[in-house]
Amino acid sequence: MKRSRTAALLLMGSAPLLLTACNSDSEASRQGLYTSVEACVAATNDSATCKQAFAKASQEAATDAPRYASRAECEANYGADKCVERSDGGNHSFFGPMMTGFFLSQMLRNGTATSAFNSAPAFRDGSGGWRRPDPGGSSSGAYGGGVYRSGAGGAMVPINATPDRAVTVSRGGFGESAGSRGAGG
Amino acid sequence: MRRVACAERPDWRAKAADCGFGFHTIAGAPYWDETAYYAFSLREIERDIEAPTGELHAMALDMVERVVGSERDMERLAIPEDFRDWIARSWRERQPHLYGRMDFAYDGTGPARLYELNYDTPTSLFEAAFFQWRWLEDQLAAGALPAGADQFNSVQESLVEAFGAIARGVARPFRFAAMRDSAEDQGTVDYLRDCALQAGIDGELLAIEDIGITADGRYTDLDDRVIGCLFKLYPLEDLFREPFGRYLPRSGLQLIEPPWKAILSNKGILPLLWEAHAGHPNLLPAMFDDGSALPPGWVRKPLHSREGANIAMRLPDGSELATGGPYGGPCIRQACQPLTAFDGRYPLIGSWVVGDRACGMGLREDATPITKDSACFVPHAIVEEARGVLIA
Repeated sequence: MKRSRTAALLLMGSAPLLLTACNSDSEASRQGLYTSVEACVAATNDSATCKQAFAKASQEAATDAPRYASRAECEANYGADKCVERSDGGNHSFFGPMMTGFFLSQMLRNGTATSAFNSAPAFRDGSGGWRRPDPGGSSSGAYGGGVYRSGAGGAMVPINATPDRAVTVSRGGFGESAGSRGAGG
Repeated sequence: MRRVACAERPDWRAKAADCGFGFHTIAGAPYWDETAYYAFSLREIERDIEAPTGELHAMALDMVERVVGSERDMERLAIPEDFRDWIARSWRERQPHLYGRMDFAYDGTGPARLYELNYDTPTSLFEAAFFQWRWLEDQLAAGALPAGADQFNSVQESLVEAFGAIARGVARPFRFAAMRDSAEDQGTVDYLRDCALQAGIDGELLAIEDIGITADGRYTDLDDRVIGCLFKLYPLEDLFREPFGRYLPRSGLQLIEPPWKAILSNKGILPLLWEAHAGHPNLLPAMFDDGSALPPGWVRKPLHSREGANIAMRLPDGSELATGGPYGGPCIRQACQPLTAFDGRYPLIGSWVVGDRACGMGLREDATPITKDSACFVPHAIVEEARGVLIA
């Protein structure tokens, strides 16, 4: 047979089929990437956890952010004006990206958030993706010995979430080209 | 391949309304037409349509690999410089794609000839994948088709499977966007959204015109949620040149179709394929246009045009056919291979590739050899020849 065995519609039909819950794995935890405590609270309605997560991420940003020997190397990865000079408390100074958001993962039980959470600082790289320190890597020891290799990004992993909300400054910048009939062909 | 007149299902308009197929009649003119169907043999489908579609698709993907490594080819395809690295990166990362449609001239004699690839914003999807399938099931049940008749059409199954394959990795939130006022485009994204949901991707609809931008160059929906992945039924080349386009490469937005489709939805891919595979039976000779007078036997098409607009055709006898439209810019030339008329209508075959699988077909026929947005969609069936004779 060269045709579909069946072809049903869930939403378009006049008698929609019942949806069965199929995302039970994703209900075991709730993950989000937030650019502010306010955005986190708006999404989770959990002010205490958002504040704790932000504070913990800010601390970790100081120790776990990638380290570069020069501003130029850092900016090549994270973009112009996105890097700051830091010091390890001793004589060593280095450059690292600014924390631009934080990642929060909360365990859920029966659909409600428990008090257990994980958080991490998040950095927006030069191509618009988001990265966090690799939770599987050893954190502050990763750059030990004062050796700051360029492209120390091996200790960073991408975040597969986008921040929930952001302030929209303009709309209507797409859609002016196509004619009245539509854009497909 | 034959065109067979047949009775319409008496209740097809009600059935169309039931499944949200609102654009079966466009501006008072019929679009869905089931007063006839095209009958094919299984051999015609498998040897002449399905196998070449798979082969040409593989050749096209190989060509993407070449073009992303070549400034010269990017230039010939008129891809704006600011987007080239981003397009190349999307290919190196193998950002997933969903679908495409090849248009073929084919009449049952000789090989199918590739007119073009519609690999960015192909439409006529719902009618091919779903309503055509429904037509076959109904007509089989009514005894209006020979028992055992089939159809080259596992498009819907393939769409659900393709969405399922990308469901885990795709960025969230997922949005489907099309032009607000196009019933046809809205119907197409309604359908894709339905297929995505069947695969576990819950994406909401958004008008292309409503997309927002943040101060740091990310795209938002009407709730100010930053869009993770956008299915856009809107040409990549138009996105590139519109006011919000310049943010694309650094926005972090995942696009479907992905940026590398800009190489395949460009008619410049036709001369590139011909240069690499001159003499291939399913390709027509093609070259980049130098602006000189069109010799007999050649067709001129802009790199970017849709729905048969801005095509100039000089038939082998020297006579000319041309269509108007909004598209300009660089053009290509392709050898003229006029469509064959069946009962005074000119059918064009749209052969679907979903994921990377050749999985179905839809025919549109127009009253002239250039298939425009006035074409009607006519269903097809696979009918074995012996039975075909009995019902002829």
